[in-house]
Amino acid sequence: MVHPLHERAAVSGIGETVYTRGTSKSGLALQFEASLKAIADAGLSPRDIDGIIPYFPGGAIAEDYVANLGLPDLKLSVFVPMGGATCVAALQTAAMAVATGVCRHVLISVGRTGYSGARASERLLQFPQFALAGEFEAPIGIFAPAQLYAPGARRHMELYGTTPRHLAEIAVVTRQHAILNGNAVMTKPLTVEEHHASRMISDPFRLFDCSLESDGGAAIIVSAAEAARDLAKPRVSIMGVAEGHPDSPASIAQRPDLLEFGLVKAAPRAFGMAGVTPADIDVAEIYDCFTFTVINQLENLGFCKKGEGGPFVMDGRIALGGALPINTHGGLLSQGHVVGLNHIIELTRQLRGEGGRAQVKDAEIGLVTGYGDMGDGSLAIMRRAA
Amino acid sequence: MSAAVITPDRPLPKPTRESQAFWDGLREGRFMIQHCMACGRPRHYPRPVCPHCWSMESDFREAPLTGRIHTWTVCHHAFNFAFKQATPYLVALADMDAGVRVNAPLHGVAEADLRIGLPVRLSFEAATPEITLPCLAAV
Repeated sequence: MVHPLHERAAVSGIGETVYTRGTSKSGLALQFEASLKAIADAGLSPRDIDGIIPYFPGGAIAEDYVANLGLPDLKLSVFVPMGGATCVAALQTAAMAVATGVCRHVLISVGRTGYSGARASERLLQFPQFALAGEFEAPIGIFAPAQLYAPGARRHMELYGTTPRHLAEIAVVTRQHAILNGNAVMTKPLTVEEHHASRMISDPFRLFDCSLESDGGAAIIVSAAEAARDLAKPRVSIMGVAEGHPDSPASIAQRPDLLEFGLVKAAPRAFGMAGVTPADIDVAEIYDCFTFTVINQLENLGFCKKGEGGPFVMDGRIALGGALPINTHGGLLSQGHVVGLNHIIELTRQLRGEGGRAQVKDAEIGLVTGYGDMGDGSLAIMRRAA
Repeated sequence: MSAAVITPDRPLPKPTRESQAFWDGLREGRFMIQHCMACGRPRHYPRPVCPHCWSMESDFREAPLTGRIHTWTVCHHAFNFAFKQATPYLVALADMDAGVRVNAPLHGVAEADLRIGLPVRLSFEAATPEITLPCLAAV
């Protein structure tokens, strides 16, 4: 039976600001700049937007959109509280809204001054989901994402022999892709030696295993499949989408298996809805808050067996021209940190054939993931619709 | 007028109605873990409902101080000025014999000697007159 959300929604518009470290603009202004670009990219008027899913906390909320864009009849205002998994999980929420006829054009957006404003360790403790981490982990010196996720990476290395060389491969390849993209914070090539020589942040994460704190905005429009058909750009159809929540979602420390993210639960559902398998994926944009997070997700998604993610990423497999090009825009590690909305934007570009110098040849079906909030996961499988 | 000395505040737990007994235990030098009164299973961090049988009746029982290392990290970058002087500091996650995990600073083990399964013992470190934090040491 075809799932009621299969191919019922499409990404119809994408927009992003320049990604920088340092800005005179507010997160709010960056978010609206990207939103107006996405609306224009779709060939829509701002007044066509009838659903808003903004990244939260931080940045614009639906009330700001009504006030700034003069929206005449907003029908849906939703927060998806999943940290880095928010944007891709919001694709599912948006797909539900347009497939049921509640909305026609839902806007998902992020605006953040991650470099110029509050930093990650400060932002996190504002999340209600981090109350337990704040009570039991922050007092013993574990509160930044690098510190929360490093123990899982260390355990993977001890159990399966994953090495710093494997982690470096993700950083080096992602940097190459960022340089091809052009709109990226990081502009110089990175070598394995430079990765290994970068300062230790929280063992085993070195500086170049960590994503950027950057300033920027990003936005996409999700439209009902039939409403997207006659818009300005080729519609990129959502074949399958799902979110998943790990056991012990508010404490990694108490999770039975630290290496099983919510993605373990979400992936079979999204692949089932899409009617494809990992072997069908031509390009993958994998949420890369840390290098290791990519390896773990590849395992959770079923691209390789548990413990084999390190060797899997080697030998050019994840670079352009390889069997599974990953993070063709430079990701959070080298392009910019807009909570992974840039990953959805890049996948849309790839499937439209707008990938420029980083275009994956004959990319027909692609995958994007979100990961965050201490293990929440989300994924979408998309293709260019006929 | 002399310049004010700025001392960064160390983040400290704010005990809740759920967790007060755990923190009271640490202050008294006892490792008190919440147990379901219906099915007997332990749970941590403290919360109102047993996820196994949904009973809301629970009590806190003194648990053994022994456990084994599950994994760890060595924090080199402080992220918070309160921890700047302590870097690099080692934090281990231990599988306690009580059936729950504890995340705490680990003392007395060289980084090269760390391994999964290493036996550890929980002890108590007073941070303020009200709050005592857990710490771990190799057995």
